[in-house]
Amino acid sequence: MAASTGSLISMQSRPGMAASRISSLKPVSLSKQGRSFLSFGFRSVPARSLRVSCAAKPETVAKVCDIVKKQLALADDTAVTGESKFAALGADSLDTVEIVMGLEEAFGISVEEESAQTIATVQDAADLIEALVEKKD
Amino acid sequence: MSSFVQKMRSFQRNFSVSPFPLLPLQLPSPLETHVWFVMPDEFKSVSLLNQYMELLSPCEKENVLSMRGDQLQKRALLARTLVRTTIARYQINNHVVDPRSLKFKRNVHGKPQLEWESDDGQCPSPLHFNISHTSSLIACGVTVNSPIGIDVEEKQRKIKNDILAFARRYFSLHEVEHLSAISDSEVQRQEFVKLWTLKEAYVKALGRGFSAAPFKTFTIRIKNATERGFDCSDYLESGASEVVVESSDHPVSLTNNWKFGLFELASSHYAAICTEKEKTSDDGMSAPMRLTVWKTIPFVEDECISGTEAVVPIAGLIKQF
Repeated sequence: MAASTGSLISMQSRPGMAASRISSLKPVSLSKQGRSFLSFGFRSVPARSLRVSCAAKPETVAKVCDIVKKQLALADDTAVTGESKFAALGADSLDTVEIVMGLEEAFGISVEEESAQTIATVQDAADLIEALVEKKD
Repeated sequence: MSSFVQKMRSFQRNFSVSPFPLLPLQLPSPLETHVWFVMPDEFKSVSLLNQYMELLSPCEKENVLSMRGDQLQKRALLARTLVRTTIARYQINNHVVDPRSLKFKRNVHGKPQLEWESDDGQCPSPLHFNISHTSSLIACGVTVNSPIGIDVEEKQRKIKNDILAFARRYFSLHEVEHLSAISDSEVQRQEFVKLWTLKEAYVKALGRGFSAAPFKTFTIRIKNATERGFDCSDYLESGASEVVVESSDHPVSLTNNWKFGLFELASSHYAAICTEKEKTSDDGMSAPMRLTVWKTIPFVEDECISGTEAVVPIAGLIKQF
């Protein structure tokens, strides 16, 4: 259920962003595939269905990458991008919660524990952040 | 070093003769908790690691290879190897199982479980397991007929956020008060890590995990002997303390069901285990957790370390075997 809620949030956007949304269609799983399970580890499953998302701004993604690198103590030259999965970078559940807390403080938002479950990649985190920031405004 | 080489040669001989050179294990009794762990630094043989890779399902292999870098791949490989080889050794229905044949599924919250076809096709597996990993240790807890949650953390684990800010955000009021009252920052950090492992072990035993059982909704407390108000001379080993979980969200009938053990493992980690109390007990007088702990190198050797200085009880009623 959280996965479908997540995609609903992604579809809300300001009118001006409609044009960029259409041009940045990406596959998204509408099922449980690719979901993160905070305490139970993450199993990487290839996404087979279409992804539609309003991609977060590059600055947001970059800020998330920065916070993730600091939390996981990754070397500066480690490649972390929107596609990067937290679990594949070595994040355990405490790391993930610390990252979420870092994101809350950096962006002035509040992420419910249930929503934290939808975050598997850096892109997921950035998308959720922008949705929450929008709801705030 | 040379005995390791001898073991490797004998392993390779055995492996070519029989594909399942795993020594069988007796199932834990309903009151027992078994813990098996590996330490990744002890695994250097590439050929041994390749043998382990052969045990994994295609999906698991893909997941291992998706991990970023050799160390993370090794860790993911060892975690699956530990689970498969450990479970395979417990003779369910009196025969050793090929570790490759085990199938796993996840419950709705993502907790991995053994997929098990009993003769009538309906019963769930009597064997329960749960794993936890850090970069230097991966542990697998096993019980029969009781859900189990286990969490391990390095004793030295540094918290990047401010501990009290983190606790205020995620822990319950009582737990924040408990941590705030600790003036020494290093002791506070240690208590934080212990509390985290206990809370994780609880939500993993529940099968719900962090997201479905937010940490703020329940409190874990360590009650010492004087609070319990009765003679604890039987439990001197564990410092006569009991770990209890309380929640305004969960009914007492739920929280009373669980018992905990917290101990120091291999001098380097805190380990917390949560299992169901036996059904016969009323509130309070639960039998201690009967714990046996082994360090293992699958296919090579086991070392029973419970009852040694490698397992030091910290809280909860623990009896080691």
